[in-house]
Amino acid sequence: MYTVSTRSTDWIEIFRTDKGVVYQCDATQRLILEFWDTYTALSARDFAQFRRMVETVDVRQMALSTDSAHDVEILTPPRSERCYVLTLCEIIHLRELLSGAQMMLELNSLLRECGCTLP
Amino acid sequence: MKDLARLRTPVKESVELALNQQIQMEMVSSSKYLAMAGWCDRNGFDYSAGFFYKQSEEERGHAMKLFHYLCDQGATAISPEVPAVAQEFDTLRSVFEGALEQEIAVTDSINRIIAVCRRENDFATEELLRWYVKEQMEEEYIARRCLDLFDQIPADQIFELDKQLSKVTYDGNVFE
Ligand SMILES: [Fe+2]
Ligand SMILES: [Fe+2]
Repeated sequence: MYTVSTRSTDWIEIFRTDKGVVYQCDATQRLILEFWDTYTALSARDFAQFRRMVETVDVRQMALSTDSAHDVEILTPPRSERCYVLTLCEIIHLRELLSGAQMMLELNSLLRECGCTLP
Repeated sequence: MKDLARLRTPVKESVELALNQQIQMEMVSSSKYLAMAGWCDRNGFDYSAGFFYKQSEEERGHAMKLFHYLCDQGATAISPEVPAVAQEFDTLRSVFEGALEQEIAVTDSINRIIAVCRRENDFATEELLRWYVKEQMEEEYIARRCLDLFDQIPADQIFELDKQLSKVTYDGNVFE
C-alpha cells in the first residue's frame, strides 16, 4: 500500500458523499478512499475486494444483536495498514460511497468500450 | 481516465463471481462423490466405489480448470468453503440417484453462467464453458444409463449390477 496523507491535484474525483470521497490516480493506478479524514490508496483489485467485504457485513446481526461484540465491525482493506472499526451507521455510509464509486467506474468502462473517453 | 479494472483483467465482476460459485459447486460435487465412494467401499460395492473415487477426482479437476482460468486472466480465484455433505445413503440406487441430481444441478448452473457471459459479451469465458457443456452432457448420460441398469439387472444380482455400473461410459459424444 501507499501511504498518502494529502490530496494530490492529479486525482480524479470519482464519487462523493457527505462522509467521504473516492478518487482515482491514473499515474499510480490506484483508487484512493477518503474516509474519516484519512486517505487509503488501493489497487483496483484490492478496492473491489474491500467493497465486497463491506457489502457482506451482516448488518442485520449488528442491528439485532445485544452482544457488544456485534456493535462494531473491524475491516482491514487488503494489503493496507488501515484498520477501520465501523459502527452500523458507518458501514451503511461506506456502502453508499463504495457502490456509488463502483457505478461510476462501470460507467467509465462502458464509455471506453464504445470508444469514448472521459478526460 | 484509465479503466483500471479492465487493465487488471478482462473478466467482469459478475462473471468472476459466477465462476467462483462454480468452483465451489465443483468442489462440493467432489466432496459428495467422495462420500458416495466411501459408502460404496464400506458396503462392499467395490466397483461402484472405484467409479465414484474417479468421479471425485474429476470434479476437483473441473474446479481447478476454472481456478487457473481466473488466475491466468488476472481475476481473483477463491478457494471455496465446502460444507458438510451426506455420508450415509439408504441404497446403492439412491447413491446413483443423488449423482444424477448433482449433475443436473451442475448443468443448469453452467447454462446460467453462459447466459451471464453473453450479457457481458465475455466470449473467452463462454469458449471455456463450452467444454463444460460437453462434459455435462456426458456426465448426465452416464448417470442416467447407470439408473437404467437398476431396472435391467434383477435386484438379486447386486454384485453383477455393481460391476456393470462401473463399466458405463459414453463413447461417441455427438459433440466430437
Ligand atoms: Fe463437474
Ligand atoms: Fe460431474
